Amino acid sequence: MSWKTFIEKQKTAATIFTHALRKNELSHAYILEGPKGTGKREMAKLLAQTLFCENRKGIEPCHECRNCRRIASGNHPDIVWVKKEEDATLIKKEQITYLTREFAYRSVESQIKLFIIEDADLMSTQAANSLLKFIEEPHQNTVALLLTEHIHQLLDTIISRCQVLTFSALSRKDLEDKLIEQGISKPLAALSSQLTNRYDEAISYCKDEWFANARLLVIQLEQKLFNSTQAGLSTMYELFAPHFKDQKQWDIALDLLLFWYRDMMSIHLDRLSEVVYCDKLDELKSQTLQKSLQHIADDMAYILKAKRQLLSHVNGLSVMEELIVKLQGEA
Amino acid sequence: MQDIADSNQTALSMKMTVTKDKLVESVTHVMKAVSSRTTIPILTGIKITASLDGVTLTGSDSDVSIKSFIPLSENDQQNVTVEKTGQIVLQAKVFSDIVRKLPSDTIAIEVDQRLITKITAGSSEFTLNGLDPEEYPLLPVIDEEDNNIVSIKKDLLKHVIRQTVFAVSTSETRPVLTGVRWNIQNGKLDCVSTDSHRLAQRVIPISTDDETKYHNIVIPGKSLNELYKILDDNGEEPVRVIITKNQILFQIKNLDFFSRLLEGNYPDTDRLIPTDSKTTITLSTKGLLHAIERASLLAKEERNNVVKLRTHENSVEILSQSAELGRVYEDVPVETIEGEELKISFSAKLTMEALSRIDAQTIQINFTGAMRPFVIRPIGDEGILMLILPVRTF
Repeated sequence: MSWKTFIEKQKTAATIFTHALRKNELSHAYILEGPKGTGKREMAKLLAQTLFCENRKGIEPCHECRNCRRIASGNHPDIVWVKKEEDATLIKKEQITYLTREFAYRSVESQIKLFIIEDADLMSTQAANSLLKFIEEPHQNTVALLLTEHIHQLLDTIISRCQVLTFSALSRKDLEDKLIEQGISKPLAALSSQLTNRYDEAISYCKDEWFANARLLVIQLEQKLFNSTQAGLSTMYELFAPHFKDQKQWDIALDLLLFWYRDMMSIHLDRLSEVVYCDKLDELKSQTLQKSLQHIADDMAYILKAKRQLLSHVNGLSVMEELIVKLQGEA
Repeated sequence: MQDIADSNQTALSMKMTVTKDKLVESVTHVMKAVSSRTTIPILTGIKITASLDGVTLTGSDSDVSIKSFIPLSENDQQNVTVEKTGQIVLQAKVFSDIVRKLPSDTIAIEVDQRLITKITAGSSEFTLNGLDPEEYPLLPVIDEEDNNIVSIKKDLLKHVIRQTVFAVSTSETRPVLTGVRWNIQNGKLDCVSTDSHRLAQRVIPISTDDETKYHNIVIPGKSLNELYKILDDNGEEPVRVIITKNQILFQIKNLDFFSRLLEGNYPDTDRLIPTDSKTTITLSTKGLLHAIERASLLAKEERNNVVKLRTHENSVEILSQSAELGRVYEDVPVETIEGEELKISFSAKLTMEALSRIDAQTIQINFTGAMRPFVIRPIGDEGILMLILPVRTF
């Protein structure tokens, strides 16, 4: 990773850092804030390498010198990197003690010390308060980076003492690309990046067998709805009812259905690149032939209405029943 | 393919043999600095460096680092042979267990380019995966030309540590107070520690040629306690003390003890020490210590462990009481007593800790009123000073 590539992805944050690095005017504390998967940790690491690199070219670290390699492997003694332990729900008290102690000690090798706290919102109020003191009166040549996905859970007193850099959420396309990079198939990546713009949520959908099956069920339902006049409801009872159990799952079912109709609309409007069920293009096309644009819009309105009903705690199964009857009636 | 062909004729990156006794001794030393709870993965290892003049082992938890050197030969005894110089980092716990249990007197260690380490002793052979020595933290390089070297006799250093480190603060609210301040100036080493309830000071003359570069430093109390444990009783040996920008190094024969320093400015303690005296008493150190110990038997049952002292014509009275248990008072004879009459309350714990660090037979205590700190100095040793803040009682 280099600053050059970061400027393209997270323009605001990267610009502020590169600017400060060029002028050698790094502030003493930053909050890197934004949804998961937006590159906060990578940027923290890059900043560390830039600060410690032995053969820095301009502001780009070499990634090859002893310091760059040690930062990559987490072995540099002047970088204090605290993150939540795997099974813990909070940053532990010992970790905070370690952190405050490190604040009090001089650096080991160099003249700079860098503190990186991942998931800074997971500090208890007490822990955050003890940090406050050090952020308030920083020693020379120390930089602290607080990484968080939920800035509003940080103490106001901490936020006010740090420069806040907001990482923008991944665009749909970026998220989809990132998922595909992780070995997720394109249809699943496309679909899950429609459901959410958070990387962690998207990847957990993609890795969940339930989600893949839900997608297949929706496709099956659509086939039934178009090919026969009777089977829609029975498919729903036989297959949907056991698969979708709570309100949240029914809501996903409705979303998946909605995307199907939206895809048909996209085909009508000749925006093929926006089709989410990209592997079912032929089916979509044949179904689109049977429906006018107005029809599709009406169907989508039914689905949106069903979503509202679900929100007001109508039973998922009954919402679906009504919806299918309506969708079928139209067909 | 090239790689596989090469590794068959394994180019060695280090090869040496060392006597088991020496290696075990060294490993024991450096293991004292290795912590299992480290956040820096490489520090779970011991670094082994084979050079032309011997073998060096290094262990560290980043706060304290210990380097133990095994010279090629010592007292006409061959300790080490180095065939190929090089270095490697091996998992500390495993390596130290292996070394202790190996069957023969000499141990051969071979490292190839893939960091695979073969340890052979007698018919036993271990193959360990080493870690990259480049990843290991760099310890400060000592420039002999620099005027930062001070030499202190080992037993004196032990005394200095014992008489100051007990008074450091244990609270992290003012981290700089968790250390002992060392000030090297004008041929004197001035050590001060305080937790803001009491203060301990020890000044010793030292031989430095010139002003040292970093003359005012704060050494973590924890590190000094570690060092104290490592200093053995061979008291006449000199310890070389070298101060660098971030660390202080104590060199003892074949052992280097590094400690990181504390950041921040130590408060000016000189103005805390009263210069005048309204009541001055001279008395036996042990006599007072034991009387306070007895009084504390009741006082410690109360929340604050406070004892009272009241002056009489030629004695002082130590008393304390516990609301539930009862009361105790004791007359302690004094050698001299001058000045105003006085009634003062103070913490038995802090006073006992201070008194127990004084080796002199008799002490002089200077009081400047019941609300002001009092100062204990041993008679015959100007370098030691213990200051204690009184407790307000109603």
